[in-house]
Amino acid sequence: MYPPEFGYFKPQSLEEALDFLEKEDARPLAGGQSLIPMLKLRIISTGYLVDLNPLSSLSFVKDEGSQVRVGALTRHAEITSNTMIKTEVPLLYEASRQVGDVQVRNVGTIGGSVSNADPAADYPSVLTALDAKIVTTSKGGSREINALNFFKGPFTTSLNEGELVKEIVFPKLNGYKTSYVKVVRRAGDYAMVSIAVALRLKEGKVEDVRLSYSGVSDTPYRAKEAEKVLMERELNEENIKKAAEVAASGANPPSDVRGSSWYRKEVMKVITVKTLGDMK
Amino acid sequence: MVKPGEKVKIKVKVNGVQYEGEVPPRKLLVHFLRDDLGLTGTKVGCDTTTCGACTVILNGKSVKSCTLLAVQADGGEILTIEGLGNGKLHRIQEAFSNNFALQCGFCTPGMIMQTYYLLKEKGSEISEEEIRDGLHGNICRCTGYQNIIKAVEEASKVRS
Ligand SMILES: Cc1cc2nc3c(=O)[nH]c(=O)nc-3n(C[C@H](O)[C@H](O)[C@H](O)COP(=O)(O)OP(=O)(O)OC[C@H]3O[C@@H](n4cnc5c(N)ncnc54)[C@H](O)[C@@H]3O)c2cc1C
Ligand code: FES
Ligand code: FES
Repeated sequence: MYPPEFGYFKPQSLEEALDFLEKEDARPLAGGQSLIPMLKLRIISTGYLVDLNPLSSLSFVKDEGSQVRVGALTRHAEITSNTMIKTEVPLLYEASRQVGDVQVRNVGTIGGSVSNADPAADYPSVLTALDAKIVTTSKGGSREINALNFFKGPFTTSLNEGELVKEIVFPKLNGYKTSYVKVVRRAGDYAMVSIAVALRLKEGKVEDVRLSYSGVSDTPYRAKEAEKVLMERELNEENIKKAAEVAASGANPPSDVRGSSWYRKEVMKVITVKTLGDMK
Repeated sequence: MVKPGEKVKIKVKVNGVQYEGEVPPRKLLVHFLRDDLGLTGTKVGCDTTTCGACTVILNGKSVKSCTLLAVQADGGEILTIEGLGNGKLHRIQEAFSNNFALQCGFCTPGMIMQTYYLLKEKGSEISEEEIRDGLHGNICRCTGYQNIIKAVEEASKVRS
């Protein structure tokens, strides 16, 4: 299955890539693990692909004390095998090892996944749970966008034409327990529903909690109303159940091959109760 | 820059042999290997990044060659099923044969290349769970997987 014809540009520097992206009808190519299938299925077409892979300056993981920076071109497998990420941003580690399969993780990148903004993808709910920041770059300069404002709809972000995701900044959450749980229809699939939780308890009460879901809305769904139900309260069965109900009632899941809207809401409740219950 | 419709020169080392070719940017790596180089051991199963039949090793990592452009492999090194045993059967191929780990054989080159990658990464300590997780991007419609798992376990214990 051949994709439609396109041209190809291999930039020597980030500046060259940005120049080209601004001038031409062009799309960036990162891991290609979403882009190439979409081209092959002729869901999209483009004049040129600008290959970001030669730009090693976009591939890095940096520990900066209170935060961790991850370059856009960092592969899923590199995130999974990074021991600093495993201890400092465990939620990201947990999500990265559940993306697709080994071959997809060897090639696909975090920047590509975030830019692609599939509502069922794993990273978006992690980014919104952690209040991560997305740093972009373009000819017009650099921007820092809060994850909650970045995802605009299915496969739609606040990136402008010619603008690239450069890196993602994760705050380290000290004293939090975190958990990422994903329910799939079959091994290696996108989430039917997944939940990212960050929780801090103090003397048995919830001091802070973030609940974010993939697969249940047009964008990652940060269930702020459900968080309020838990704040300052005991993490007991009754409160957890109430929070799960509130989270599900605020969601608007699609009905598609992975499950009906009704079923997804049921799954949401079940994994919310189970995940929070395990964190008691 | 390569304009739409134009071809681009690429150089790749496949199974230790240096090749040069001219490809349109949209040519997929698997078609370059099969149609241009005649290395038809690598299969196209699903053509949608799902089945793993097209798995090859590019610069030390297992990749699905139906979802990579041939130009992206420019300057790189590739290992395919043809290059694995150097004319003899590789220990992984022996183990697949010993354990009846194939029936129609269509998934086998991909299974074996992915196994090669897993054993390179994890060594002989690999657990059954790690094998199952490591192979879940490779689909087999015939064997029911049980004998494939046995074969990988056997291969992991044989010294190369
Ligand atoms: C079989 C299979 C299973 C998968 N399962 C999962 C899964 O379970 N969970 C999951 O989350 N994902 C899954 N994926 C998707 C995978 O994670 C992709 O790697 C990811 O969505 C895209 O990343 P990429 O680097 O491959 O980007 P590409 O495919 O190269 O690009 C994707 C899009 O983003 C744009 N882009 C890329 N990089 C940038 C950048 N730096 N700035 C701006 N735009 C950019 C491209 O132009 C394109 O529009 C799966 C994919 C496959 C093939
Ligand atoms: S043919 Fe490439 S994954 Fe199936
Ligand atoms: S042996 Fe037939 S698909 Fe695996």
